[in-house]
Amino acid sequence: MSVVELTKLSPQERHKLVSLPVNGQGLKTLMEAGMIWLKTNQQIVNNLNVFPVPDGDTGTNMVLTMQAAFDEIEKSGDENIGQLSHTIARGALMGARGNSGVILSQIWRGFARALDDQPTMDVKLLAEALLEAKETAYKGVVRPVEGTILTVIKDIAAQAKVSAQRTTIFTEVLADIVEAAEASVERTPDLLPILKKAGVVDSGGKGLFCIFEGMWRFINGDALDKAVTEVMPLSEMNLEDTMESVEPGQDYEVVIDFSPESTFNLENYYDELSKIGTSIQVGEGDGIYRMHIHVPLDKRYLPIDHTMTQGTIQKVMMENLVAQMEGKKSDKHPKINLAQVKADETAVVAVSPGPGLSRIFASLGVAAIVQGGQTMNPSIKEVLASFENLPTDKVIILPNNKNIIMAAKEAASMTVKKVHVIPTISIPQGISAMFRFIPDAGLEENTESMIEAIDEVETGEITTATRSVEIDNVQVQKGQVIALYNGKLVTSTDNIDTATEELLIAAKTCDYERITLFYGEDMKLTHVNALADKIRSIYPDHEIEVHEGGQPHYQLIIAIE
Amino acid sequence: MSETENNYNELGSVLIQKEAIASIARQSTLQSYGVVGLAPKNLIESIHQLLKKDAKYGVEVNFDHEGLLIDLYIMVEYGTRIISITNSIVNSVKYNVEKTIGLPVRRINVHVRGLRISNMD
Repeated sequence: MSVVELTKLSPQERHKLVSLPVNGQGLKTLMEAGMIWLKTNQQIVNNLNVFPVPDGDTGTNMVLTMQAAFDEIEKSGDENIGQLSHTIARGALMGARGNSGVILSQIWRGFARALDDQPTMDVKLLAEALLEAKETAYKGVVRPVEGTILTVIKDIAAQAKVSAQRTTIFTEVLADIVEAAEASVERTPDLLPILKKAGVVDSGGKGLFCIFEGMWRFINGDALDKAVTEVMPLSEMNLEDTMESVEPGQDYEVVIDFSPESTFNLENYYDELSKIGTSIQVGEGDGIYRMHIHVPLDKRYLPIDHTMTQGTIQKVMMENLVAQMEGKKSDKHPKINLAQVKADETAVVAVSPGPGLSRIFASLGVAAIVQGGQTMNPSIKEVLASFENLPTDKVIILPNNKNIIMAAKEAASMTVKKVHVIPTISIPQGISAMFRFIPDAGLEENTESMIEAIDEVETGEITTATRSVEIDNVQVQKGQVIALYNGKLVTSTDNIDTATEELLIAAKTCDYERITLFYGEDMKLTHVNALADKIRSIYPDHEIEVHEGGQPHYQLIIAIE
Repeated sequence: MSETENNYNELGSVLIQKEAIASIARQSTLQSYGVVGLAPKNLIESIHQLLKKDAKYGVEVNFDHEGLLIDLYIMVEYGTRIISITNSIVNSVKYNVEKTIGLPVRRINVHVRGLRISNMD
């Protein structure tokens, strides 16, 4: 039985499943619950990643490591917990990715060693296994850095030892462990100054906590497939995409703006909503909450009734999705015409964060597009799949984001085709490189001239800060508009226009000739046009162009050349 | 030349010794998970190490006009996935050296000189 099937069990039945002593199948169930919950929280963990290198992949790495471990035992019916845990450890070792993944694999390795070939596990053995897990994790490094996943497993092991002396009930020990892990994660900024400075807790530690919390949530009968406490900024609520996930019977879309009461509990609110409908999203901005849900016809007023008990409703929008879908199909996303490559030509694959940018790339001769960008890195597999079926063996990849270059290079090394990665770290660099592309020139020739083109353009980006932080001596409050010039923070302010003007000054725009604005999915065309007029009046000699980019997160991407 | 020029203005130049770069690389290597120690580059260095502590032990720094070339000689814990560990080392050494010194790192070669076996499974 998988966890999904098991979630149909009542809490009592679940408790029984892990009642003492826990055998192999019990551990397997817990592993899967931990993995699913970690996966649900993957993006949250990724966003915390600032140490040792702020590349935003901790959550992904830990999920892949857990997945590799679980794949090994998925089909196993082994009742012996010792043998099963050795299988987990081997899977984790083989699939370990990144720093936190390797540490996680060491944790499982120590855990397995302590269980040896015991058929079952009681709380004493659990405490010993966690202690051995901690020992093994610490052995793997000469200078352990505290305030990381290592500290969290240490605190977990210490708590397990204390709890195992107090009680013999597994679920009680697990509850203590989860509590200790949470407290430990909260303490990480006190131990590691770089975390404090960035205003985050440690990502690896948080990931480990999620694994144990997932086990605990499963036993309690809590949902594992949605992160309950996730509230996104209003600007990030992606209500357009929810159209694709309309389920039969969920005919009405209800969006409610409300100001919550002081006693408002997001978790309970979410739970209630999930009984009514699907595609639930809750966003927050300036003290206003926005709720989005799809509900069946007969339940269309329930979200309103429920929200009224939680706060003061300001606005309600209700739409009939079925009718809307009919209209949508025809006009949404006109088809993108990708270039058709011939066998001896060079093909270009571009990573693009939005439909507008994809169309621009296509019009410049790109043969394949991979969806991706900031906070949505495509996997190596996706990059690989994009060019594997092209009828040529000469391929150029434009990653267009610093965090995607590695994945692109990995993909390049995994194919028999000749693949060159042009290290473009922004959309303007990618577009600038595309201008130099000649399909029937050779791979080397194109690569050379495209790399040259990267430096010919300056990149500006306007986005909203997702947390308060101080970087490059600029103070930023969460929710402020920030401007980045070639990836460096230039200014933080309260509106997009000021941010853009300051950005153009910082970029020494006077020395250049052309400014191109690619506006994001949550920018209105009227707003961009007004802004473009303003820029025209400041830089009368410059050519100013406006294009739809359709990218998320970034209100504007600006090319200065 | 054992010094690299970082930048200069009308008042003078900033020169950075290879030893300085080596200590930063060394520090972040030793903090990388899975690394249990540095290893001598060659026989001479292993004898040298007995006599005197050297910031460059296990680390070699070179540079050309395109940036720094760093070679790391390490010992790794047995039972860990070496490819993941070496990838992490490369990322973190590159990040830390570029952040603190401000010079681009062109290449980092990681030489795994041996495994330390603390536990057999």
